[in-house]
Amino acid sequence: MVLIKTQRDMLLSPLQSVSGIVEKKHTLPILSNVLLEKKDDSLTLLATDIEIQITTTTTGTQGDGDGAVTVAARKLQDILRSLPDNAEVSLNLEEKRLLLKAGKSRFALQTLPAQDFPRMVIAETSQGKITVTQKQFRQLLSKTQFAMAAQDVRYYLNGLLLLVDGNQLRAVATDGHRLAYASMELENQADLPRQELILPRKTVLELNRLLSDSDEALTIQMASNQIQFEFGSIHLVSKLIDGKFPDYERVVPTSLKNSVTMNRSALLQSMVRAAILTNEKFRGVRLILSTGSLKIMAANAEQEEAQEEIEVDYSGDSIDVGFNVGYILDVLNNTSSEMIEWGFNDAGSSSLLTIPGNDRFKYVVMPMRI
Amino acid sequence: MDSSRRIAHLDMDAFFASVELLRYPELRGQAVVVGGRGNYEPVKQADGSWRFSRLREYVGRGVVTTSTYEARALGVFSGMGLMKSAQLAPEAILLPANFDAYRHYSRRFKAAVARIAPRIEDRGIDEIYIDLTEIPENSASLARRLKQAVLEATGLTCSIGITPNKLLSKICSDLEKPNGTTVLAMEDIPARIWPLPARKINGIGPKAADKLARLGIQTIGEVAATPVGFLTHHFGQATGNWMHQVAHGIDNRPISTASEPKSISRESTFERDLHARHDKPELSEIFTSLCQRVASDLKRKGYVCRTIGIKLRYADFRSVTRDITLPTSVSDGSQIRRAAGECLKRVPLNQRIRLLGVRVCGLSPLGEADRVIRGVQAELPF
Repeated sequence: MVLIKTQRDMLLSPLQSVSGIVEKKHTLPILSNVLLEKKDDSLTLLATDIEIQITTTTTGTQGDGDGAVTVAARKLQDILRSLPDNAEVSLNLEEKRLLLKAGKSRFALQTLPAQDFPRMVIAETSQGKITVTQKQFRQLLSKTQFAMAAQDVRYYLNGLLLLVDGNQLRAVATDGHRLAYASMELENQADLPRQELILPRKTVLELNRLLSDSDEALTIQMASNQIQFEFGSIHLVSKLIDGKFPDYERVVPTSLKNSVTMNRSALLQSMVRAAILTNEKFRGVRLILSTGSLKIMAANAEQEEAQEEIEVDYSGDSIDVGFNVGYILDVLNNTSSEMIEWGFNDAGSSSLLTIPGNDRFKYVVMPMRI
Repeated sequence: MDSSRRIAHLDMDAFFASVELLRYPELRGQAVVVGGRGNYEPVKQADGSWRFSRLREYVGRGVVTTSTYEARALGVFSGMGLMKSAQLAPEAILLPANFDAYRHYSRRFKAAVARIAPRIEDRGIDEIYIDLTEIPENSASLARRLKQAVLEATGLTCSIGITPNKLLSKICSDLEKPNGTTVLAMEDIPARIWPLPARKINGIGPKAADKLARLGIQTIGEVAATPVGFLTHHFGQATGNWMHQVAHGIDNRPISTASEPKSISRESTFERDLHARHDKPELSEIFTSLCQRVASDLKRKGYVCRTIGIKLRYADFRSVTRDITLPTSVSDGSQIRRAAGECLKRVPLNQRIRLLGVRVCGLSPLGEADRVIRGVQAELPF
């Protein structure tokens, strides 16, 4: 039976939307597969790793009848990607195999039964729903997600805090050394009760990949242990991290004795250059801020040294402080304003990077004793 | 095997107790037991003499760290519960352990030996192996010189076994304790080693000895006389072959002069069993202090660790361990505490606990370059 007959891209692009979360190695072999489900002219693709599930539905698919099957996601994607752009592809369901034909190419793929494919249970009770544009939410994520921890034993740091309160939506991420905060206003939205959700790291990275910079709508549906995102033809369901996120307000310094405002890209360029001669493992740079000047210095284990100097409008205390250059590059790379403001108290306590005239972004970074 | 080697095992005599006797010479000749915590510290009297605690005064659950030979004669040995040993020797003097002092004397005796024979394998606070192969002097006179040097450096006596390998030397240093010297050649094995119980072999513990006894094998000689096939049948290939070899006095292990620690641990038996919830503050304080002590051990030895584990012993003496391996090495007390805290979440805590331990492994030396350049990243004060 010819299950699906379509253009290569009509199959490849929804497959690429769902396949990002498929784990290469999993204890359950079926989780390496993607579920293809055809009903009338609609085709649904579904992939999951049990924590996250992504579904896309497209219409206008041709074929002889309805049916569902699961097949190795990675292999199917590799095959489709290697075919010519405009290739006509047909998927034929045989006994236990899926036969993919395109031009003179033939591929017989192993299948596993669709009814064995695990699906996440969608939460029945909702604790609120918000609608924003994809662009707004993507910006919120991109200004914060880089500060998430990756493999911290404090498992709740391996994710991003989403905080809904009234008509405010805030995102916070931290790895214990630096913290990024961004907020946005929810327009045309009834006030919501305060709630905190921790999105797993993988979900955040996947959302960041899938969302576009468009004004199209993104609907977020929240439940106590689950969150759903609907945008375009994509439906993403994710479990939440069960834990208590640290109180970010406690670590954002409220009064700063000294602050300097400078051109973001000039600072970025200097940092990029100085970073070349930092110790590969510890990546420390030394900042010396004095009247009219910011010096950036780096040295590595081979005794090689770099020095950068930026003229700044500064007349506060002289400050000599060290930082992990990676943490500074992250914030400079993930913001787009012309200017950036950097506030300090002393070399031993936290410093704060902000965008002048914008209180919706904050980045706290702890120094490094060099 | 290479019978031209000459290896010594030097074991300090009743080391901790002897160090205590240096400090309190008036206790010489008495049964003295070291163990327990600080509140049994001797108290100086008005006339300048000391008032010592007696074993019968002890209340708690500490164990004997060591005892003098006089106390051993009364049946009090290392590892025995202090209250239990009080029944055997109620009038024995009780002293709390003073590890700083033991470490001090440990360094001194090792330095004294190193001046005579520099190839030393450190086996702990009170024992070392020494490679004497390259030293042109007969064993008996070398043993005398080593013992004299240790005595001059510390005022303490030790026992030495000198044989062609570590296995035999370890057995021999114990044969004529205290202040003994035993020199043994391969041809002496049947007469000197074979009559000894199998347990005297370092590596045959109580369980293996019991099993051997059930098979009708008591002495090292009987092990040696047993066909190797019989041993491998009962103890497995590796252990069986090993037993056969050691019973014939064969041991090719080299002296390893640069021994790297594999793990560092600290544990504490509580004065009373603690409950995870009801005694949380107390438990948490002990837990944190164990982590800090492990961290300062790491720092002192110049290592960082990647795997952090905990050990818990419940009131019913059941033990559990859990560990976690981090993506990068750590050395800081608070980082160790955090990882150990994660391990603690993975054990059932509905029962009372009598012992808590923290152990780190996956050690790597903190490189010199790292130490200079590394920089210490500060943590956000959540």
